[in-house]
This record gives sequence, C-alpha cells and structure tokens, in this order.
Amino acid sequence: MKKTMLAELFKRREFTVTGIIIILAILFGSLSSNFLSISNITNIFIQISSIGIAAIGMTMIIVTGGIDVSAGSILGIVAVITAKAALTGLPTPLILILGIATGALLGGINGSLVSFMGIPPIIVTLGTMSFFRAMVFQLLGGRWISSFPDSFRRISTGNFLNIPLPICVMFFLAIIFTYYLEYRPTGRYIYAIGNSVEAARVSGIPTKRVLLLVYIFAGMMFGISGVIVAARTGIVQTNTGAGFELAVIAATVLGGTNILGGEGSAIGSILGTLLLAIITNGMILVNLPALTEGLIIGIIIIISVFTDIMKLRRRGYQYE
Amino acid sequence: MNKFLDIVANNRNIFLGLILIFLIFVFSFIVPNFFELYNLSNMTQYGIEIGLLAFAEALIIISGGGGIDLSVGSLLSLSAMVIGVLVGRHNFNIWVAVIFGLGTGALGGAFNGFLVNLVRIPPLLVTLSTMYIYQSLALLVSVEPQFGNPMPISKFPNNYLFIGQSTILGIPFQALIIFIPIFFILNYYLKYTTFGRNLYAVGNNEKAARFSGLSVEKTRFITYLIGGILVGIAAIIMTSRISSARPDLGENYNLQAITTAVLGGVSIFGGEGNMVGVLLSIGIIVVLYNGLQLAGVNAIWQMGALGLILIGSALGHNMLFQRAERLQSMT
Repeated sequence: MKKTMLAELFKRREFTVTGIIIILAILFGSLSSNFLSISNITNIFIQISSIGIAAIGMTMIIVTGGIDVSAGSILGIVAVITAKAALTGLPTPLILILGIATGALLGGINGSLVSFMGIPPIIVTLGTMSFFRAMVFQLLGGRWISSFPDSFRRISTGNFLNIPLPICVMFFLAIIFTYYLEYRPTGRYIYAIGNSVEAARVSGIPTKRVLLLVYIFAGMMFGISGVIVAARTGIVQTNTGAGFELAVIAATVLGGTNILGGEGSAIGSILGTLLLAIITNGMILVNLPALTEGLIIGIIIIISVFTDIMKLRRRGYQYE
Repeated sequence: MNKFLDIVANNRNIFLGLILIFLIFVFSFIVPNFFELYNLSNMTQYGIEIGLLAFAEALIIISGGGGIDLSVGSLLSLSAMVIGVLVGRHNFNIWVAVIFGLGTGALGGAFNGFLVNLVRIPPLLVTLSTMYIYQSLALLVSVEPQFGNPMPISKFPNNYLFIGQSTILGIPFQALIIFIPIFFILNYYLKYTTFGRNLYAVGNNEKAARFSGLSVEKTRFITYLIGGILVGIAAIIMTSRISSARPDLGENYNLQAITTAVLGGVSIFGGEGNMVGVLLSIGIIVVLYNGLQLAGVNAIWQMGALGLILIGSALGHNMLFQRAERLQSMT
C-alpha cells in the first residue's frame, strides 16, 4: 500500500517539477552566492505572486478544455479601476472588493459568450482581449496613473506573519482552490467537463452554469493579480498586463495542466510559475543576455509537453 | 426577408461582402478623402502584408487537429531581421539575403509542422512556444555587435525597394505581381486539386481521412511549411515597403492574423473555410482600420473594434446557423 502511494507520488507532475526546481536552485546557488539569499528568494516569490494567482484561474479554464488570452487585458482594466479608486481615497478593503468584482464581471462576459452562446473560447477571448485593452486606453485617456496613497501600496509591501502579503494571498488561494477542485462536487464537474462535455451533460452536470462559473472565478483571480500588480509597480499604463496572458499560460502548462483539458492542479500551476521565475531570475544572475529568455522559455515548454506526451503514449493513449 | 436571411446564413461570403459594403458606405460619408488614390494604395499595401499572414493562418486552421499558429508575427520579425542583417551588416547581395529570409520563413513553418505532426504536440502549445522562440531569435539576430543592443537596420539597396514601393498602372507592385497571383493559386489549389481536397478531408475528419489512406501528418506538415513560406514573402514585402527591418515588426500580427482568418469564415475546428472569405475579411479589416484612422480614432480602438467584430460575427453566424438548423429540422 505504502509502496504504491510512493510510486504514485513519483509519477505526479508536481513531483517532477519540484525536482527540477530543486536542481536548478542548487545549480544557480552554486553559480551565484546571491541566488539562495533570503532577499532574492523573497523577491522571486513576490514576482511570481501575480502570475501564480492568475495561473490558478487559468488552470481551471484550461482544465475545461478552454483557454483565456484576455487575462492580461482583464488585469489591465482592474488595475486602472482600482488605481483610480485608490486615488479617490477609497479604503483598501473596498478597493480589493471592487477589483475582484470587476474581474468577475469581465470573466462573466467571457464565460457567457463561451457557455451560453457556444462560441469557442479562443475566439471569444481573442476578441475580448482587444476590446478590453481598448477599454483600458479609454479609461486612462492616453495618460498613466501613479503616486498612489501608501495605504494602497501596502497591498504589496505589507506583511502578514513576516511574509509579504501577495505571497500569503497566493498560497491561501492555492490551498482553497486545491480543496475546491479535489473535493467539492463542482470542482470535480470541472474535470468531467474537460474530459467530455457530452458525457458530463448526459450524467446531469449543469455544464453551461459550471463553465460560466469557471470563467467568473478566473476573472476574479485575474482581478486580484491586477490589484497586486498596480500596488507593486506603483504605475498603471495603457499596456499594463499586455503579454501577461502568455506567461500565465506558459506557467500553467509547465505545471502539468493538459492543454486538451481534463487534467491539472492549482499547486502544479504555482510550481510551474515558480520554475519559470527561477529560470528567468537565475539567467540574470549568471549574466545570460535577457534576450534569450523567450528562447529558453519556449524550449522548456516544448520539452515539458513532450515528456507529458511520451508518458501518455506509454500508457497507451492515442493522440487524436 | 426570411428567404434573404437563409441565403446569408448559407453563404458566409455574402454576409461578409455585405459587411464590407456597409463599412465602405459608412466611411465614405464620415471620411472625406477615403476614396483618394493615395489612401486606397495605402490600404492595399497594408492589407497585403496582413493578408498573406491571414492566408497562412487560414490554411493551418483548415488543416484541423486544433491547428492554429500563434507564431506568424514572430516568424515575420525573424525573417525580416535575417534579410536586414545579411544585407546591412554582412554586405550580402540583396537577392541572396531575400532567399535566406524566405528560407527562414520556410524553416520556421517546417519546425512548427515537425513539432505538431511528428512529435505530436498540440499546435496551440507548439506555436505558443515558437512565438517566444522566434521573437527571441529575432532580437538576438538584431543585436549590433559593437553596442551589444538590438538595433533596427535600414541599409537596404535602392534596387530592392520596388517590391514594396512601386506601382504598375497605379496598382501597387506587390498587389499585382505577388498577392493576387498567390490568392488565385491558393484558391485554385484548395478547390480543384487533390492536395486541397485532402486538406479539407484531413481537417474535417481525421479518422475518416486516415482510413481512406490519406497521410494526415504529411498533409498537415506541408500546410505548416506553406504557411511559413507565406510569412517569409510577407517579410520581404514589408522590409521593402518600409526599407528597414526591426525585431518587433510582427509584434501585433500574431493575433491579428487569426482574427482575420476566423472572421473570414474559417472554422476554428478545421475543415471549413475558403480563400474568398478570407480575402473579404482582409478587406473588412483594412477598411475598418483605415477608416477609423482617418476619422482620428486612436489606433488601439482599431484592435478594439476588430475584437467586437470578431465576436459579433461569431454570434451572428451562430444565430443564423441555428436558425437554418431549426428550419431544417422542421421540414
């Protein structure tokens, strides 16, 4: 019994990713004495918090067999709205609620188009990506917003039990959504939809409502990331969050979420985000030119998916 | 009226044609110099570059199996930079450099095709990765050794510029000599040749295609290769038109190309779509961009409007389609 559990653990994607993270950490640590310092590690975790939180939402969407390329634009809109609210002196908790609600609304727009109108997710989110980005521009009026009150900046600089707030939020959400996806009925429905919408519908799962819910949840996550990004960078511009969606998708896929749906976990996606951040951070420390970042990220995605597919094939899975 | 709706529902190209006519009508009222020759030739030049990318995207999406290419814009940047660096920094003959640029496009497309068909990674992931990879390579290629920074190149010989800047009988050279022939060739190939029919068969129903003896992998690989070559051609036209090469030339084109193809009636599930539809869609996008630009609307709203049109056209198509289906089930 114990042996099979261990064997199961070794087979888990999370285990492999953790292994790679440890190996890379030792490697970069021996190449640069700064890498394993507390301040650098904290720095890496603060950097990943916004992508990691968004990756939890993206994981749910990809598990249903969907995709969301509008995540960066949703993040942008939320950043603008919360930044404007912060300037009017709204109390921070209300700003957070406003940000999450805005994210939920925008995610809900994507979700209704996907679930009730039956438009493929890639088409819907391609469309809303451009439209939401135009909204960011419109809301900003071509200018940028900065010099927020300290109370707002504290969302990113504050600590809880000596741990920076964004990191706490990320782990809190990771735990909540791991529980939700693993043990709650609705969480299990999400996987069922990803494996076969038709089968899920026949077995009585309200597929449309669950799909809508997934996009709303994801929108909320993108919203939380948006608030954190605005508070951390201290400036919101028209291109805030542009390209963010691709980093989030890359992290999610690295963390073992199957792009064809039905497979993936919140913890895995956080680990994927961490791996991505360690690579980019380590590259800077060992003085690799920043221009090679995309090259290395791309190659890593290909290799990681390739190993997945080899594993599936060994199990006798036929790729269609 | 109902009969009219049915015709539109059954023929997407008529639907697109109506949108195009409507847009031209609206903008000719709002924008005074919309029909000036200078503006028309501007529109054509822009449309050709996005159009070639949209053709590439359309072929790849039609080939099915989740076919999509997020990397066309990055590959455009890379091909353009290869041409620029060979000419501007290594003093290659321009036509040799052009061949290398075209080869880069072909190689990039073939690499995508290889990963999709032989390694069997889903296209969305392959091209997401190669989008990063080609973009990064474009930046690396553009690094000026003296300064160690990515730098644009604008040292193109004069005998190269006719491709993107001259006209024949008032029509831009690249439209008459390159784009229109490519359109007709692709249209002919898809409609009347075995390759075209294989492509639709493979895209429509992979299993059936396999059982009837078609090589799904080979057909799709060739499609990605052709896509890469089309991107290479777009890179040549673009570098010649603006007589410079920058590593971020194709930045916005990755998603624009997909939008154009899908708006043109190419089904994201594969096996459906035609070049005439894509051509109409290119027309719509160019007219929209140009009209909004001349009307003084910020460039970001061109994309915003495009997003709305994409979703709107999918919605409209779905509704009409459902209507047609309902009518069919009634009879």
